[in-house]
Amino acid sequence: MLETVEGAAGAKTDRPPLLILKKLDKSFGATHALKAVDLTFEEGEIHAIVGENGAGKSTLIKVLTGVHPRTSGEVLWRGEAVGLATPHEAIGLGINAVHQEVVMCPHLTVAANIFLGDEITRAGMLNQKAMVREGQALLDELGFPLPAGAVLSSLTIGQQQLIATARAERRGAKFLIFDEPTAYLTRQETAALFKLIRRLKADGVTIVYISHRLEEVFELCDRVSVLRDGALVGTRKVAETNEADLIALMINRTIDQIYHKDVVPIGATIFETDKLSGPGFHDVSVTVREGEIVGLYGLIGAGRSEFVQSVFGRRPATGGRIVWRGKEVKIRNERRAMDLGIALLPESRRDQGLCLHLGVDLNINLPIFKALSVGPLINLAREAKAADRQIRDVQIKTAARNAPVTSLSGGNQQKVVIGKWLNHGAKLFIFDEPTVGVDVGTKAEIYRLLGSLLKQGIGVIMISSYLPEVYELADTLHVFRAGAIVASHGHKDASHETILTEAIGV
Amino acid sequence: MTDHTISPAEQSSRSGRLDILLGLTLLGVLLVMWLALSIETTTFWTSNNFANLLRQGAMIAVLAIGETFVIITGGIDLSVGAITGFLSMMVAWLLTHDLGFASSIAGAISITLALGVLIGLFHAFGVVQMGLPPFIMTLASMYSLRGIGLLITNGATISITNDDFTGFSRANFLGFPWTDGTWFEVPMLFWMVVVIAVPCYLLLAQSRWGRYLYAIGSNKEAARLSGVNVKAITYMAYIVSAFCAAFVGILLAMRIGIGLATQGDGWELQAIASSVIGGTSLFGAVGTIHGPLIGSFILTTINNGANLLNLNPFWQRIITGLLIIVVVYFDTLRTRKR
Repeated sequence: MLETVEGAAGAKTDRPPLLILKKLDKSFGATHALKAVDLTFEEGEIHAIVGENGAGKSTLIKVLTGVHPRTSGEVLWRGEAVGLATPHEAIGLGINAVHQEVVMCPHLTVAANIFLGDEITRAGMLNQKAMVREGQALLDELGFPLPAGAVLSSLTIGQQQLIATARAERRGAKFLIFDEPTAYLTRQETAALFKLIRRLKADGVTIVYISHRLEEVFELCDRVSVLRDGALVGTRKVAETNEADLIALMINRTIDQIYHKDVVPIGATIFETDKLSGPGFHDVSVTVREGEIVGLYGLIGAGRSEFVQSVFGRRPATGGRIVWRGKEVKIRNERRAMDLGIALLPESRRDQGLCLHLGVDLNINLPIFKALSVGPLINLAREAKAADRQIRDVQIKTAARNAPVTSLSGGNQQKVVIGKWLNHGAKLFIFDEPTVGVDVGTKAEIYRLLGSLLKQGIGVIMISSYLPEVYELADTLHVFRAGAIVASHGHKDASHETILTEAIGV
Repeated sequence: MTDHTISPAEQSSRSGRLDILLGLTLLGVLLVMWLALSIETTTFWTSNNFANLLRQGAMIAVLAIGETFVIITGGIDLSVGAITGFLSMMVAWLLTHDLGFASSIAGAISITLALGVLIGLFHAFGVVQMGLPPFIMTLASMYSLRGIGLLITNGATISITNDDFTGFSRANFLGFPWTDGTWFEVPMLFWMVVVIAVPCYLLLAQSRWGRYLYAIGSNKEAARLSGVNVKAITYMAYIVSAFCAAFVGILLAMRIGIGLATQGDGWELQAIASSVIGGTSLFGAVGTIHGPLIGSFILTTINNGANLLNLNPFWQRIITGLLIIVVVYFDTLRTRKR
């Protein structure tokens, strides 16, 4: 299954590997995020790690940087066993990470950020001048035309990412992890970053490069490892593989029994867009009928979330038409969307969906308290009845009607949101990444729930970055790339490879 | 019905039980303090001292109830002490001038309460419309109100000569025989707590606006997306708080017979402390009406008991401070567990 590749291209073969992972395991409660991963990182190689969302890439980074201590397994640094129990220990060894979202202090200057935690002092006082001077020298040397004295937040995210890299370089990083570094970068910034990465490699630094963009892997990297469902499925020399090969490795061919696709008769059209355009997407035409799941697949930033935001009235569409149950409508704000009968189940249920510390009943009834009131006071019996009905119908597993939502599992929290909108009479449910961060068992539960929604004649739009999910469940699947639909498929009438290729655009 | 769901008949709740447990614990603390003081002193457990205790506690209790509405939304109202002082001055000012209806008892009280509502509106405007942090908005208002009060009176004290007005604070209503055979009469001031607490309980626990307050305190965005008029409900919270403070301002003027803008100094902290001791979470979304009620009488008992025990009065402040640290520490523990 896993072949060891001796001596990666460009790496010095006479030296022992810098970092060896042996049977690395990480569990979060019942979720098994990393399963017995064996990996070897040579000194001075650029090692790409690819895999679908949820494959375990982020967990791997967090274990390597000491953010989450591993559950079991061994880590050898230059042949010696290390604990990697804290970020401090990891940094001390020379393991650094540059995250997709920059983790720095936006209100401080570039120089202050570069020297954060390791400031230059004179007689116990900060020596600002020296830090700006040395910071600038470092940036100039790296070829970043950025001012060291500027406030960090005045730079673009991409520039901030370069600063983060410079900081890691200054800390004497031996092992540098890049997590989707180019997601927010312009072409020039990407070029500058690649130049820096190659320079670091020439200096003997080991680079771990995590990216969805396979073309970057081929441009930059020496070796590539593929993760799937928390397990390592293969390591290849980049020179000896191709994109189709990697995609085949990334996709789980054995579709689990978790996808229950109920056959539901498809009814009348509920919702339709006609060449809808708005911020981040254009000319999107989609139809959703009763009992139908419409899947929107694409990489992050491909425009599917932006489209849905417009449909929900967050950032109103600027062109095209929306037809709701036969009537053309304008959706200028969220209230309008909700009153029509559209429910959005956001990815971050914690932020937008639920009052987590309050009871299940309060959450379920929040949109309909007016209907439950007689005059100024709530009819407590009716309130309880309405909550109980949804708890029963949606099968929310809760200790009590008014138990706080925090006491529920992730899947059950999701059900509370669904119960809430069913209570409000929603006809179209938009699920944005419904199964992110939930375990397989809960996933199955959520899919069953989707099925029960369909039987009630509800239409579903499902956004997912997890291809097997939309592939198995969607009656119609639209593939987004660069803000537009580039392909549409019926239920399972195209291969994974085709769809992924369309989304990536290779 | 599967075992996945609860039957509608099965209605006990963990969080509900916790609330009751907390309430009982607080009540227990209060009773233990009373018991200890009754054993330790001969003067505590008398009908006279108890009536006095109820009068002392009444004002902080009303302030604490109002304050709780704001804290549940995740805000804070630092101005209630200043509103009390300012409006005690205003009601005295109105009563001692010759302005027709406005100088009658009914007129002065109505106008003062209306001013309270206006001040609450102003706070909510700053918080909701201008986006100021509640802490800053009400702190600024606290300073300004004291300033306006001093400006109007030039720092002087207004004596109220209207005995019908001041007599109310000494009046009692209903009574029962005390354990020592004397007759205990329930002070009118305590009945005023009931007058405020009952509608506030209905509003917070039985009306949809109460539910919305909790929802806003827990997750403003979720509340908004569920169709809650977040702005209007936030207005409501600040108005209730300022209204309660106005009400206390009137009671204070009745009790001490004067109007002085600097009165009620530090009462906002006592109100917040009472609310927090009563189980209200400064992180929002947690709070009841009975909690701050019991909390305020715990604080009052500490003060009253310290006097009877001839403790240096400065100790009262120290004890109150320590109590707040302990109680808020438990609150952060509860939050961390979430």
